[in-house]
Amino acid sequence: MDSLAHDPPQSVAVQGLARPQLDLELRGIRKRFGGFTAVDGVSLKVEKGQFVCLLGPSGCGKTTTLRCIAGLEEPDDGGILIGGKEVTRDPPWQRDIAMMFQDFALFPHMTVAKQVGFGLEMLKKPKAEIARRVQHVLKSFEILELAERKPASLSGGQRQRVALARAMITEPRILLLDEPIGALDYSLRETVMLELKLLQQRTGISFIWVTHDQNEAFSLGDLVVVMNHARIEQQGTPEDILQRPSTAFVAGFVQGNNVFHGRVVDHSAGLLRVETAAGTFMVPSIGKAPDLGSEVSFSVRAERLTDAVTDQHPNRLSVKCTTVEYFGAVRRHIFQRRDGELLKYDQFGAQSQRIAVGQTAVLGWQVEDSVLHVGVGG
Amino acid sequence: MSTIRVRSPASYWLAFPAATWMLGVVVVPIVLLVWVSFWGGRAFSTSSPLTLDNYTKFFANPTYIKLIGSTVVHTVTLMAVTGVLGYCIAYFLVVKVKSPRWRLLLFLAFIVPFWTSTLIRAIAWVPFLGVNGVINQTLMFVGATQSPIEAFLYSRAGITMAQVSLYTMLAAGPVVYMLNSIPPQLREAAMTLKAAPFTVFRRIIFPLTLPGVVIGQVLVFLNVMSDFATVATIGGNKHALLSNLVMLFYEGSQIRAASVVAVMLMICMLVGVVVALRVVDIRRLGA
Amino acid sequence: MRALDYRTRSRLTAWVLGILTVSFLAYQWLPIFTLGVLSFAGPTGGTTFPMNGTSLHWYQEVWRATVMNDFKPPLLRSTLLALACSATTVVLSVMAAQAMRGQFRGHGWFFYLLLLGIMAPGILVGFGFAIMMRLMGVELSWDTTTFLTHVSWTLPFGFLTMLAIFNRFDKKLEEAALTLGASRIVAFRRVTFPLILPGVIGAGLFGFSLSYDEFPRSMFTTGPDMTLPLAVMAQLDRQLTPEIYAVGTTTTFFSLIAVTMCTFAFWAMRRQVRGRNS
Repeated sequence: MDSLAHDPPQSVAVQGLARPQLDLELRGIRKRFGGFTAVDGVSLKVEKGQFVCLLGPSGCGKTTTLRCIAGLEEPDDGGILIGGKEVTRDPPWQRDIAMMFQDFALFPHMTVAKQVGFGLEMLKKPKAEIARRVQHVLKSFEILELAERKPASLSGGQRQRVALARAMITEPRILLLDEPIGALDYSLRETVMLELKLLQQRTGISFIWVTHDQNEAFSLGDLVVVMNHARIEQQGTPEDILQRPSTAFVAGFVQGNNVFHGRVVDHSAGLLRVETAAGTFMVPSIGKAPDLGSEVSFSVRAERLTDAVTDQHPNRLSVKCTTVEYFGAVRRHIFQRRDGELLKYDQFGAQSQRIAVGQTAVLGWQVEDSVLHVGVGG
Repeated sequence: MSTIRVRSPASYWLAFPAATWMLGVVVVPIVLLVWVSFWGGRAFSTSSPLTLDNYTKFFANPTYIKLIGSTVVHTVTLMAVTGVLGYCIAYFLVVKVKSPRWRLLLFLAFIVPFWTSTLIRAIAWVPFLGVNGVINQTLMFVGATQSPIEAFLYSRAGITMAQVSLYTMLAAGPVVYMLNSIPPQLREAAMTLKAAPFTVFRRIIFPLTLPGVVIGQVLVFLNVMSDFATVATIGGNKHALLSNLVMLFYEGSQIRAASVVAVMLMICMLVGVVVALRVVDIRRLGA
Repeated sequence: MRALDYRTRSRLTAWVLGILTVSFLAYQWLPIFTLGVLSFAGPTGGTTFPMNGTSLHWYQEVWRATVMNDFKPPLLRSTLLALACSATTVVLSVMAAQAMRGQFRGHGWFFYLLLLGIMAPGILVGFGFAIMMRLMGVELSWDTTTFLTHVSWTLPFGFLTMLAIFNRFDKKLEEAALTLGASRIVAFRRVTFPLILPGVIGAGLFGFSLSYDEFPRSMFTTGPDMTLPLAVMAQLDRQLTPEIYAVGTTTTFFSLIAVTMCTFAFWAMRRQVRGRNS
């Protein structure tokens, strides 16, 4: 269930309402494996040429959702529309998609040229055209010299390019990528990420990228979909998700948030007073204010805290510093909160360190920096 | 680093016993057979002169030539039947059976007979095939035939039936191994590249299992060519193949003739294995 | 077929192949099963149905030795031979596989030499070896010449088993032992060997069952004393009686027991290795 739902889930029969500029639409996808529900009511709309990242921990259902889009799994409920056309019961070879697998899945017995041309062969294109297009694609991915080699003799980076070339040559509407750079060396990953981002922008193909790595998701995605326990916790731009997490799970999952759980003890003028085990804090209400006594959670970003506390910072805690981590651009302090959790406080790395390990300090933040979690997840 | 240093003298010493054993018990005797097949004279001695007489005598006899022919035909038939059957079974077990427990059970059910004596399993076919055998009794009971079919026991068909039950798993085993080593993503990748299931099989799965098919065929080939026990048990005295001819000469103390036939057998087998290796190589290049 | 949905086609294929597989399973098992059933035929029962009652008569016949067909000495000989073969196979194949790890010069040839043992048919090896013995003036006997040929057959199987086990074996465990001060021999004895034990048992099992059932090599090399398969064949040549079925059923039964025990031992050993981690 999306917390920032664009539309209520529609029945599959009402196809006339599908907008043609959507490359992909998922309507209430549900998939069970025996007693285990892998995907529970996932709805998504992907605009033309959008870079979408499905982000979440292992087992959250992101890979199963991807496989449903590909047609490798059949959903028990719900509908899938690609380019406005209903494909829910269609097999993979009839869908306008291509897929890149985590271990590349190159055909060991075929040369690079044969593999890359495979999709076109299946589309029954004439031999001359296949040869020409294969040459063109190999050149643009800079693997022309590998044309007659077999996958076994290629390096990881080379294999990745071949897999990409093989998928892209059929000019699909959507490219599905299942943790595509997980198998690469760390140093290679950054380069490849950038190349893929530029490729997506250049070709205008929608990319759906599954990963558990936040850095990938936030640097690549136009739309980031955070999933947990078979549901979508939140979807939005990277800024939406990082600055305004809508559930405690999302807040805790993405880096740099301090999450608090508590009860509403007062609300007035759009402000909530929330009592937690770490202290009582003011949180701006979003939409209809929750009832008195109800359980809520909220978060505040680590860089929004300050140790130079003034009247502007009515939310305060007194905490003891346990560790200081230095990342160059950021200096992160870790404190022990009264409720047993840790508090993160980020400071610009260029500033000199003001708080030492073992020191107790008072930290505070502005009321408007408290972000209430409105979603039902977490 | 391990418990044995690479290229150390220790590895030579460890390999020595096995190497000597195999050289002495397998290589030397086979070379000896070839030598004996060229022996002239009558005496059984190493000083016999070398001659081609034994071979000319063998080839002069049209029955023997025909025997080589029928042995080859019989073997190829077995290879074809076990090959197709074995592949179907292997494919079913690896690809179509979803539950791992059933797969293991079925697999065990197929493998367990191999731990029992091949001879006993061959003998077990006799009560099946005879005039009063189980097959005939069932057919008559069901009403399919009025009088018993004599053509089962003591016939080429009967031998084939028994050998199919004995050797199909030899053809299936290597295919199972190769099918298992194909990651499921390959099939999925092909499907996302617009290939329908049969095309996926024809272009991806089958070519990748080809080495297994060839190995299986070679195993069946070698076993059927040299299997004189089953032929003797089921074929009785009416039918013989090349391997039985060796036994016939040996029991008649015609050592030279027996060794000629043995060499013929060896040549057939070598040709078969070489052809098989060629097939695998060519396929690897062609894909 | 194209008119059918791809899902239906897939299910149809599965059914066809499944029926084929199960039919073949029956095809493979039915003869042995029939053999077993017929071995319990009544005293007047022939070698096929009808059975004329059930009895242990034929088993008693086997037990009661007559001059013509006494199966007990061949049984003993086959068992002893198989045990000796099993032990020898284990020792030689572990040595040979360990040697392969040393990658000595010519280890490729060594591999093919051992593979030759599987590819060379029993009839050729037995025949050639018998001639060789005759030329050397060595008398053929079940406990010498047959033993030698049997091992030449079982050793390659044990060797391949051990190679497969060593392939899966993690060298780092040995390295750890060596860095902790163990000598090579000690590391092998205390670390390597316990971990390759399933393979060793497998090699031993191969050695035993392959030798026990071996026919062509025995045929040429046993001299006057027969092994069990030879005795069965000899009896078959004379006359087919349910006694042979009884012998066959007993042998099969014991083979199955041995396999079950060893599989159980494998499984228990694997659980012991894994169980401590989970």
